[in-house]
Amino acid sequence: MDPARLLGPAQIDVLAQLAVATILLGGIYALIAVGLTLIFGIMRVVNFAHGEFLMLGMYLAFWTFALYSVDPYVVVFVSIPVFFVVGLLSYVLVMRGVIHASHNVQIFTTVGLSVVLQNVALVAWSGDFRFVRPWHLSTVLRAGSTTFNLTQVVAFLIAVALTISLVAFMKWTHAGRVMRATAQDRDAATLMGIDTDRVYRLTFAIGIAAVGAAGVLVAPLYSVYPTAGLQFVLLSYVVVVLGGLGDMLGAMLGSLIVAAVEVAGSYLFGTAWKEIFYFILFILVLVFRPAGLFGQRGAETLGV
Amino acid sequence: MPRATVTIIVATLAVVLGGEPAAVRGQSPAGEYKIGVLEPLTGPLAFEGKRHLEGLEIVRDLINERGGVMGKKLAFAVADATDPTAAASEANRLIAREGVKIITGTFSSRLCGAASEVAARHNVIYWESSCVDPRFNKRGLKHVYRTEIDASGFGWYNVEFIAKHLAPRLNLKPNQLKIAFLSEDSSYGQGVTESARQRAKQEFGMQELMLEYYNWTTLNDMTPTILKMKQLNPDVVHHIGFGNDAVLFWRQSKEQNFLFKALVHAGATGYGGGDFGKALGNDANGVFALLEPGPGFRLEALRPEGQQIERAFREAVQKRTGSYPFGAHQLAGSGLWLLKLVLDRAQSDDPEKFRAAVMSLDLPIGSTINGWGVKFSELGQNANERVQHYMLQWQNGQLVTVWPEEFTTLRAKWIPLGSWDQRK
Amino acid sequence: MSFLVRSRRGALVVFGLAAVTPLVVRDAYFLDSLVLILLWGALSAAWNVAGGYAGQVSIGHASFFGIGAYAAALMVTRFGRGPWLGMLVGVVLSIGAGFIIGFLSNRLKGPYFALSTIAFSQVLLIGVSRWRGFTAGGEGIPVPFRPGFATLGLGHVGWVYMALAAALLCYRVEVYLERSRIGYQLAGVREDEDAAEALGIPARRLKVFAVTLSAALTSVCGSLWAQYVGFVDPTYVFSVDLSVRFALNAIIGGMGTALGPYLGSILITSLETYLRATFSGVKTGFAGIYLIIYGTALILVVRFVPEGLAGIAARLRARRAHA
Repeated sequence: MDPARLLGPAQIDVLAQLAVATILLGGIYALIAVGLTLIFGIMRVVNFAHGEFLMLGMYLAFWTFALYSVDPYVVVFVSIPVFFVVGLLSYVLVMRGVIHASHNVQIFTTVGLSVVLQNVALVAWSGDFRFVRPWHLSTVLRAGSTTFNLTQVVAFLIAVALTISLVAFMKWTHAGRVMRATAQDRDAATLMGIDTDRVYRLTFAIGIAAVGAAGVLVAPLYSVYPTAGLQFVLLSYVVVVLGGLGDMLGAMLGSLIVAAVEVAGSYLFGTAWKEIFYFILFILVLVFRPAGLFGQRGAETLGV
Repeated sequence: MPRATVTIIVATLAVVLGGEPAAVRGQSPAGEYKIGVLEPLTGPLAFEGKRHLEGLEIVRDLINERGGVMGKKLAFAVADATDPTAAASEANRLIAREGVKIITGTFSSRLCGAASEVAARHNVIYWESSCVDPRFNKRGLKHVYRTEIDASGFGWYNVEFIAKHLAPRLNLKPNQLKIAFLSEDSSYGQGVTESARQRAKQEFGMQELMLEYYNWTTLNDMTPTILKMKQLNPDVVHHIGFGNDAVLFWRQSKEQNFLFKALVHAGATGYGGGDFGKALGNDANGVFALLEPGPGFRLEALRPEGQQIERAFREAVQKRTGSYPFGAHQLAGSGLWLLKLVLDRAQSDDPEKFRAAVMSLDLPIGSTINGWGVKFSELGQNANERVQHYMLQWQNGQLVTVWPEEFTTLRAKWIPLGSWDQRK
Repeated sequence: MSFLVRSRRGALVVFGLAAVTPLVVRDAYFLDSLVLILLWGALSAAWNVAGGYAGQVSIGHASFFGIGAYAAALMVTRFGRGPWLGMLVGVVLSIGAGFIIGFLSNRLKGPYFALSTIAFSQVLLIGVSRWRGFTAGGEGIPVPFRPGFATLGLGHVGWVYMALAAALLCYRVEVYLERSRIGYQLAGVREDEDAAEALGIPARRLKVFAVTLSAALTSVCGSLWAQYVGFVDPTYVFSVDLSVRFALNAIIGGMGTALGPYLGSILITSLETYLRATFSGVKTGFAGIYLIIYGTALILVVRFVPEGLAGIAARLRARRAHA
């Protein structure tokens, strides 16, 4: 590219648009990762089925839209209690039995759950790609020559709101403190009279509620199909590790970083390589700063 | 280790593998002729596999209404091929347990390779209707046939359309066309894109501005790519999409106000799937997709026997699914119909007699479903020139046939595409 | 074969039956299923070397499987040499990759290690998919079948014995780890790494050793698989699904036991094959049912029988001893 054009107005426009793309994409990733960092951070469970709960949220948005013409932004309020219950049920039926078992058992339990959920969706709703097309899907806001997709902006704002409310919850409510205590040292927490089973149940339920709501919000942006969760689950883990386990703000920042790596990588080297960049970043972070870029050193070994 | 446990395990193994839900089946009682059907019915390709199976079932019923094959009713033994190991395993099952002598399928290149190897080892005929891997026929396997053209044929037709139809209407010579290639990175996308690139450059001298591949299952945002393309300013975008990536590209191009003169795709997925129109409605207007014939298709352009069967096929699909045939239906269905033509001639599933019948078939364009003709090469591949493909365009929520013009009453619109709001 | 006979009645029965079957059964499908059981069993046993015996649970072993598969396939199609040479090359490359994973295992614990192995396998997947010039990229590599031993073009009976050989090899390695000094040390590292180090055991080196050994064995099986199935597709051979499968069989059968992976493979592979055969023909819409059953069975087994099938045997034996 001609170096004389490097910082001309056209280039600045491109940079601006790339920055916007990064922020908005980061918002979506944060939305999805927030629930995961909570569960992974407090329960230390690698939930392979995280993407499938996202997928279920997407289907909820689709069916309410297709059958009752309800806008996803309305459905999202309903989805929170719905998925809270789904989380409770999943915990009681599936996770509780393995919470004290080895990591491997937990991992493979969630793998089985993931297979079950994917195929329940396939059998019930077929593998066809579905779409949610609310009126505002194609609405864009323009600032100069930079465009913002409205749906993505809303998703971003809600991600921020969700992160802030969860941070507040964890910091200032009794339940939040109890959860953090249990995360730090399960045995000590029990000795202090904390019912760890209840804590885990609540944690799981909140985490699933968050990811279910995320599914509803991202449904208009992507296709809805049974294996849709696979699109996001691995990078959610990258985000969570980058940001530090259980650290909501870290998840937000981690999302932005992953999004930046993706967008910059795609632009400079082509979309083919984008995942390689964040996977390599992931491995590097794991090797050199496993507590995450923002976490406390040594925190990653707690409870593992 | 207690003998009890081992015995249980071994017994389970014996029961599970040795016994079948029914007894070992073999060929059905007189009156039915069974062939094996291998499609991906679970996993990420399930949505297409299901449609293929549907197309096969519809044509099977049509065949049986017309007397079946070799005097018997045509029946299926269906198997699910999720991945290459499963494809090979299920092919084994179809051959050993179901006793089929012909296997058809299989939609995806990763599956047809493995399954056809198995068939070849057992001297079973493999009748492929859809996978596009160009190497499929070049492995020296004698009884492996493919009714659909391979990826290089798609690329061939796409470039044909761009050079012979689009270029003149854009008032450009083919070697003045600037073209950007974008594609999903599976064997399908790579196959089509590479063959298109080659023909575009070598035969027509088109200027290739960009080549980019991506993985459609993990693609979340196309803004960076679109921004790059905006700066390069291509005339034509050759984009092979698979699913959501097509919708994403189109929607985000509109958001970024990326203007170009035409977008060309090939195949029944991505831009060529019904879901694309459902997702975008009239916003989808203008996109070209290389497919089997759609609305606007002039039945009169076909030969009489072609008209008959094409009409019957469409009515049957309409009856069963309530809509116009999808690409998957058309590929699977026409493949099965061609199989019937061969069996009518061979009156046997003996591989050598079958092969003789296949080679002897020589029908001009317009003879069967989709307006295809038939002429197989020595390698078992139906010829590019006989397997007429058509360029369809999204117009007002429907994919309609626009090229070659002698086959359709409708014409391509919005060349060049013009601004995003103008395509009504 | 003394290692089989000494105290391993179970192994004798399992492998003995496998050896005898092709002489009695001619059904191609049965033999094919047997090959798959043995091959997946061998792969799980290879995984077990790192996962069960060294305690390094990886969900990225498909990395080595894919390397082995590609090495064999490329050696045949691109260089015109035999798959055995490809297998050798694959082993060398996998040992290199094993060093990297081993290094990671020394820095990371539990779920972090598992996640890093997934990332590694995905990096390989993407890299291979893009390297169109060399690996044919996303199009994959069809592996030609040429009859003969040198080209691994065997009939069904031949493949049963080939897979059996691979299974016995992996089994032998596992037994070695159970009985040798290195194996004892490894067990110490697995149970309590700090204590082991305090005793002067070179924990880090041992872990790397276990992982590279596991990688080499996995690669060998990958090369065999490529010749058996005949098509190497990057999105499959490097997939997380495959990595999970290797670990799964071992866990269900009993991690850290020599026969466990094979028992797990018998159960899972048979179940999967049976369910797929039974439910395939069912109405199009119901194709996913067998996977739902499979997933549920997985959850239940992992929950209620976490020590695996081999663990049940130990439990029964213990109960009998107290009776």
